[in-house]
Amino acid sequence: MAPVLAWLEGTSVALAVRDSLTLNAVLSAVHLVGFTLTTGGALVANLNLLGVLFRERAAIEVTRPTSRGIAVGLSISVLTGALLFAPRASAAAANGTFQLKMLLLASAVIFHASVHQRVARDDVATPFMRRATAGVGLLLWTGLALAGCAFILLE
Amino acid sequence: MTLHSAFEWLEATPVGIMVRESLWGFPILVAIHIMGLTLSVGTLVWFDLRLLGVSMVRSRASQLYRRIMPWMFTGFAMMFITGGLLLAGFATTAYDNVYFRLKMLALVLAAVNAFFYHRFTERRLAEWDDAAAPPMGARLAGLISICVWACVIMAGRMMSYTMF
Repeated sequence: MAPVLAWLEGTSVALAVRDSLTLNAVLSAVHLVGFTLTTGGALVANLNLLGVLFRERAAIEVTRPTSRGIAVGLSISVLTGALLFAPRASAAAANGTFQLKMLLLASAVIFHASVHQRVARDDVATPFMRRATAGVGLLLWTGLALAGCAFILLE
Repeated sequence: MTLHSAFEWLEATPVGIMVRESLWGFPILVAIHIMGLTLSVGTLVWFDLRLLGVSMVRSRASQLYRRIMPWMFTGFAMMFITGGLLLAGFATTAYDNVYFRLKMLALVLAAVNAFFYHRFTERRLAEWDDAAAPPMGARLAGLISICVWACVIMAGRMMSYTMF
């Protein structure tokens, strides 16, 4: 793992980011736009599953557009995130807060793509199942947001 | 009283001092401010995408707006309160910062765009409420909103890099 990270830090892209505070700032700024789209979509999808938003719509009518929004937002955040990660790969990978953020990111995305989608499409899902799924989803995405804040604020 | 002297006064208030000197006050306010982004712009963007005719086109635009409104306004209330508190801590530094000025300008543009939409475009809502492809005025309002709010977010983030 360590050699891969060291190699990554030596790439020309990583060096370009490392040497420019402006580039770091711009990448971070765009990263936050992606974050807003991703978490906004996740929030709308989960509030719908919870039964408090767009109640009159079938869950599937909300999950499709919001999933697309999450996908677009993630594309933006993961790309900018990777570019921000590259020059500081070793330090970030060793950082507990960053590890937690990545764990929560993976968990939130996998949970949304699997359990959330299944429950949203299931006509016989009980209200409890829907609310529990939404609850877990909200916790994961909120946790991710907090981990992200902690990482930038406490470094 | 000039704006600058008002900002100086703001920084000297107990709240301003707390934000600047408290170990946890500043990080907590920033965290709430960032999470508020999800609740405010994160929900508004879905209405903008509807206006653009890009997403949720089977929903009536007016109904989508009504449903999202409480969440969106709660989010924006959070943003303005935490934003105001954060400003109190660093008002004079913000005053000199170009990204702060850009952010405030973008906020004004967002308000103007919203005003135009509600005052003019929304008047003829009945004609296009069900339409998958809304008229140019609505689409423009949606596009401008997305662009302007992206600018607000980015300018805000740039402030962190250039103020401290």
